[in-house]
Amino acid sequence: MTPAPTKDLLLSRMEGLNQIPTIPAVLAPLSRYLELPAEQLDVQKITDMIAQDKSLAAQCLQMANSPLFGRYQKVGSLKSAIVGLGIQRVTDIAMSCGVLNMMPGETGGIDPVAFWEHALGVALVCRNFARKISYPDPGKAYLAGLLHDIGIIVNLWVLPKEFRAAFELGRTDGIPLHEAESSVLGFTHCESGRLLADRWELSADLRQVVSFHHTSYESQEHAGLIALVELSDLLCRMSGLNHGYIERREVNLLDRAGFTVLAQQCPVLKDLDWARLTFELDSYMDEVHSLVHTIYRK
Amino acid sequence: MTPSSVQPPLAFDGPPDPDLVRIRDLIYQVAGIFHPDTKLRLLFDRCGRRMKELKTASLREYFEHLTLRPTRQTELVALLNEITIGETCFFRSQPQLDALQQVILPKIMEAKAKLPVRRLRIWSAGCSTGEEPYTLSMVLQEESQRRLKDWGIEILATDLNERSLAHAKNAVYGAYSTRHLTAYYRQKYFTAAGEQLQVQPQVCKNVNLSRINLSDDARMTFMKSLDVIFCCNVLIYFDLASKRRVIQHFYNNLLPHGYLFLGLSESLYGVNDDFRLVHLPGATAYIKGNRTPGGK
Repeated sequence: MTPAPTKDLLLSRMEGLNQIPTIPAVLAPLSRYLELPAEQLDVQKITDMIAQDKSLAAQCLQMANSPLFGRYQKVGSLKSAIVGLGIQRVTDIAMSCGVLNMMPGETGGIDPVAFWEHALGVALVCRNFARKISYPDPGKAYLAGLLHDIGIIVNLWVLPKEFRAAFELGRTDGIPLHEAESSVLGFTHCESGRLLADRWELSADLRQVVSFHHTSYESQEHAGLIALVELSDLLCRMSGLNHGYIERREVNLLDRAGFTVLAQQCPVLKDLDWARLTFELDSYMDEVHSLVHTIYRK
Repeated sequence: MTPSSVQPPLAFDGPPDPDLVRIRDLIYQVAGIFHPDTKLRLLFDRCGRRMKELKTASLREYFEHLTLRPTRQTELVALLNEITIGETCFFRSQPQLDALQQVILPKIMEAKAKLPVRRLRIWSAGCSTGEEPYTLSMVLQEESQRRLKDWGIEILATDLNERSLAHAKNAVYGAYSTRHLTAYYRQKYFTAAGEQLQVQPQVCKNVNLSRINLSDDARMTFMKSLDVIFCCNVLIYFDLASKRRVIQHFYNNLLPHGYLFLGLSESLYGVNDDFRLVHLPGATAYIKGNRTPGGK
């Protein structure tokens, strides 16, 4: 096993790399534009922004025609997708495609498809979960779910061989990936994710999610959003939307620190039908597999 | 058979039919069995069989059969029979068996480590024709060559139906019941009986078959010291009050570290607050609510 590099080494390798993934050019201005009050948003302007990146636009259309995003009548143009699905939904789609496109050529022999399936799965569960418990911002929940594991991209870029050793340990022992990373690398994707989130200048709440989704008890702010991602992530990891291997353990979501925090913010959580939420997850699985497959293997 | 003779097939690439969703939600509310969107086609086919029988033209009318007509109770049972038909087979739910072997057994062994007698007691409640308890017996025999060495294994298998129990005692099964059997299990634990397969005596010897009505409070009180209870697709036929009583018995029958498994898409939501849902790899189970927390 490789000696555990320190976080300083990670940092220096990250700084030394020119090809570290950047947030797709279209998405930064798009997400800034969407901070404007809804009544000031112009559908044509959003369409133009996404259309600048032709491949992204094509993938957005493909996703917009998936039942996962609620569209059952085929849409032929970005504009009609935005009109039909709404601005928030199309932004979710654009962000998903943008993030799915980021992957280094060399991944230490790991097929990254499972990570993207997990990211998209957690995003969808976060959105569904947020709606069920009347969480005030399901759109933000979706984005937080989508981006929570961006540290894995960093680890794949910066330390592909070492990350592979961590992944193999996780798979063999059936333990969570962040625990395997801790023992092999000396840090987890939460820490490397935080570096990337800072570099991308993500909003404060998303940076907190990336940093603390496995240690929500350490977070000082945005605890509700972090908890929502923590619980959705666990649900996905215990189902077919995991990191590519089965964790051999038992999880009681009601014992999680995040559950207590989120229940204070969203009291209906106490009466949530967890079984149904789990069964509903089944209905995403096939669609997530096929979407990620078609987009990633473009 | 498809319901196409009753009405044109639904377009399943479109939004789910609202009447089918109402039937799905009714089944979940009354029986606790859930069909996610991906399984609505299956539910539709099963409703279709009943609709053909009743000469009902639309799902909306069929929903009325299930909710407003005087025969609604009978019709609900008929639909539930359609839903669970063919569910009984060996290795019906591999994720539950994997969770039992990989996660639950080590926990039970740890909980019982200091006891003088090493004994594992599992109950297949509503075992029908015996496929489930014999599957458990085979899986645990495999384990008894590994981590369950020196452990006594007892599988209680009960059902209300005498004919099902007679079939279980006979232990001979056809192609449909044995369709999920791997070559390994087929060769190791079965012998040919004409076109069918006979379960070998070494598998049967750990399985104790008996007739029990789960609503019989006196008998239920005597089922004690259980490590795991499997009760799959049985409670769906019970009304809420009976279901609550049976579940309370299960709660008392289980040891503090015990586990209750229901069918893969079956839920206790709204039935009992003492049990807690836990997530295992690819499956869910229920544990006693007052137990020490697990999971990280």
